Amino acid sequence: MAVAVVAMATPVFAQPSAQTREADIIAAQKAKAGELKPYEVGRVEAWVDNLEDAMLSGRANWHPFFESAYAGGGFTLGAGYLHHVSSYNTVDVRGSITPSGYKRIEAEFLAPRLFNRHGVLSVIGGWREATRVGFYGFGTDTSVDDRANYSFTQPYAQAVLNVRPTRGYLVLTGGFEVSQWNQDAGGGSAPSVDEVYTPTTLPGLGANPTYLHPQAAVALDWRTAPGYTRTGGYLAVTGHHFGDTDDQFSFQRVDYDIIQHIPVMRDTWVVSLRGRVETTFVDEGHTIPFFMLPALGGGSTLRGFSSWRFRDRHSLLLSAEWRVLVNRFLDTAVFYDAGKVTSHTSDLDLTDLKTDYGFGFRFHGPIATPLRIEFAKSNEGLQLVFSAKAPF
Amino acid sequence: MRVALTPALVTALLLAVAFRCVVDTAGPKFRSDDPLAREPDSQDAAGVKESDIGLVYNLGYNLFVTASRRPEHVRALNVNTIDEVPDSSWFTNRIGAKPLTAADIVRQSTPGPPPASEKWTVIREKSAGFAPGFTARDAKGETWFISFDPPSNPEGATGAMIIASKIFWALGYNQVETFLTTIDRRTLQIDPEATVRRPSGARTPMTQADLDEVFERAARGSDGLYRAAAGRLLSGRVVGAFRYRGTRSDDPNDIVPHEHRRELRALRVFGAWTNLTDMKAGNTLDTVVKRDDRAVVVHYLQDVGSTFGMGANAPHDWDEGWEYLYEGDTTKKRLLSMGFSRSPWQTAHYDEHPAIGRFEAESFDPLTWKPRVPTAAFIEMRDDDAFWAARRVMAFDDATIRGLVEVAAFSDPAAAAQLTATLIARRDKIGRAYLTRINPIVDPVLDDEGTLMFANAAVRTRVATAPASYRAAWFTFDNATGSTSALGETRSSLESMKTPAPLPTTPGAFVKIEIAAVGAPHQSWNRPLHVYFERQQTGWKLIGVERMPEKA
Repeated sequence: MAVAVVAMATPVFAQPSAQTREADIIAAQKAKAGELKPYEVGRVEAWVDNLEDAMLSGRANWHPFFESAYAGGGFTLGAGYLHHVSSYNTVDVRGSITPSGYKRIEAEFLAPRLFNRHGVLSVIGGWREATRVGFYGFGTDTSVDDRANYSFTQPYAQAVLNVRPTRGYLVLTGGFEVSQWNQDAGGGSAPSVDEVYTPTTLPGLGANPTYLHPQAAVALDWRTAPGYTRTGGYLAVTGHHFGDTDDQFSFQRVDYDIIQHIPVMRDTWVVSLRGRVETTFVDEGHTIPFFMLPALGGGSTLRGFSSWRFRDRHSLLLSAEWRVLVNRFLDTAVFYDAGKVTSHTSDLDLTDLKTDYGFGFRFHGPIATPLRIEFAKSNEGLQLVFSAKAPF
Repeated sequence: MRVALTPALVTALLLAVAFRCVVDTAGPKFRSDDPLAREPDSQDAAGVKESDIGLVYNLGYNLFVTASRRPEHVRALNVNTIDEVPDSSWFTNRIGAKPLTAADIVRQSTPGPPPASEKWTVIREKSAGFAPGFTARDAKGETWFISFDPPSNPEGATGAMIIASKIFWALGYNQVETFLTTIDRRTLQIDPEATVRRPSGARTPMTQADLDEVFERAARGSDGLYRAAAGRLLSGRVVGAFRYRGTRSDDPNDIVPHEHRRELRALRVFGAWTNLTDMKAGNTLDTVVKRDDRAVVVHYLQDVGSTFGMGANAPHDWDEGWEYLYEGDTTKKRLLSMGFSRSPWQTAHYDEHPAIGRFEAESFDPLTWKPRVPTAAFIEMRDDDAFWAARRVMAFDDATIRGLVEVAAFSDPAAAAQLTATLIARRDKIGRAYLTRINPIVDPVLDDEGTLMFANAAVRTRVATAPASYRAAWFTFDNATGSTSALGETRSSLESMKTPAPLPTTPGAFVKIEIAAVGAPHQSWNRPLHVYFERQQTGWKLIGVERMPEKA
């Protein structure tokens, strides 16, 4: 029955006859020859193809930008325009904004293949504003109810050079930044810091220091990619000098980072461990402004606590994650964070740690994690984390 | 039974009529030129235009649309009346159709001279694939596509490429002529006209630094030379890749939807055997060449390098060959179980050799093997397609496999031995899986005395035991009307039996014989195979084989 219907509609096959099989095929080919047309690309296919072609050809100038002006700004929306100034070097002008008014606008010149592809130079100039950054007092024995807010604006310019001298694991970093912190009264529902503290009780309150900030780091990095990896590790020591041009708030900071990813059962799971210590040293006669102190809390440190929840001269952070490969594009993870801030390095031990735990999803590609959503629980409640990069 | 008249079914039936008369129509079932030995390319295809298939869209479409496609269960549309694939611009009957040794395969798959490697001149960057490489002219001025091994797996990618190209040539596919060669960086030159496309999109002259970047990703031998696979530039005008579904709308000769071409469906079996996990359209190529008085499109599997245990730059990922890049069900299970829902790839044992990568036979299951991304042809494969393919796989005897592996010139004999053993073991699993799923009677012959002889493909290849006996129902067959008249039934414990009644002697007469196994180790063997013979002046000619119904 089906054939009869078809036969009427298609003359070529209307009369199955004693002619040869080859003749039937030739007739079909001849019929098609009269109806040739180029492949018709559907709208979705055309859109995806155009995007792919733009990415490969360097024509993809506009891009999303989800980096907030400062941690704690909330959900961030932004965009950038990237332009190649030479075969490999780019200038990217980008900006972002959050519902709470955190703003950032900057331009970056990136030279990714210096010194015969041993070096990557990033030069950034920009301006940012954070309107309601939390401050809860010093140390870990503070109450979440003690929150006060401050704001700041900051013009900044920095250059950072990363060099892999052997193209292997060793990474040397040097950088220099000039920035001016204009700390001011905070917005939001919490009281402003200037309503709660005085310059005597809160060093740096109302200060506008201009910092000359050189930094240097030596690291061993054997991860497949910093943005997403299932194996490898990272060891780094970074030294910073923050030199106040008014000679009041100069200090040094040293960061120690250790990360190890341990694949289990052929990458079914990955046990990821991180340790981080930040220590500061003050020049004689100087103090560290409260807003420059090492801090814990937020989506990349103690995830179950608000951003900048704990501040003091030194900090210790330990994280452990059990990551599960769900498919090539999605991981889930159960994590546990512990950390503390202290006023003395001798107190950087494993007692009285603030802890949290949680569960999250990471949408990733082979080298990047463009979306991370996590639910983190601490004794201060549940935090929802959105981020455009891996936790570590 | 009510059959829905879907567009796909209509197309299928139309093409079935064109290729073989298997439906009940007013015309004769068999034509004078059956079984068709070659699919004609009758029309001039000079107007075919170059077109690209986007990698991302194709990947997404196949992962999220094709993967959920429900197979139409129709017989492949390009098989002839004896259930074989005629030669075509896609496929040439080679192993299984004629005796071929490893030496024959190597010689015939690479008829031209090898590259003159004394001097190489780079003329372009590598335009496809992720393996380090470039396009270069050899000392005689011939153009080659050069690819290297990754430093982590010396001899791995080139070995896979060289062996797989021979295997797939023998299986019938158009292949790029590929040779092993060496490149001495010291004598390598850059053509002054050579350019490289930069991330900015600009094309600028190629420099030594560009070559440095290529060679940093390539394995260097202890002699300072770089081992490479060299693929000869194809003749003709390149017009892009082909899809594993639909037809090329600008090629008049391409009338069979690709998902219904048996040789493309059969890649599910050939892919499983060789672990060809990367079946994306981008690894295929169409070229327009002049044949006789017209232009025709020739279809290539141009890159079969992601085979055995190797990808272009590293061993296969653990789950390659076991799972698609994305599977909804697996995702759900892993998500809910936090990864404790186990998959076979997590426990499969690999004797991981750098030159072989992750390739094993013990846990391998041909029925569950998967490429990275499914194709429509992969989904549409039926048991008769798989049976056809499995016979070709089984046609590679141990010596042939050993001989083909030797072409890779692995420096470690253990690597060659491991690959050979794994291919043999996987071949046998293919045979056990697919030669037993349907009635495996093959090569029926009816002689002048009325003796029917045949073979059992599963028994012959020792993947199954013989049934207790065979039963044959004999009929005269009216080719014009399709009507039959019973002649009787015979039984035999042997693979031959005598006609129960005198057979017609008039040229042009037909007989139909339905052959089934009795007491078979597999239930599927009880379903009879239908074979048809036509009486000719010189004797009985096999003219029809129906292994499965048109739509099953």
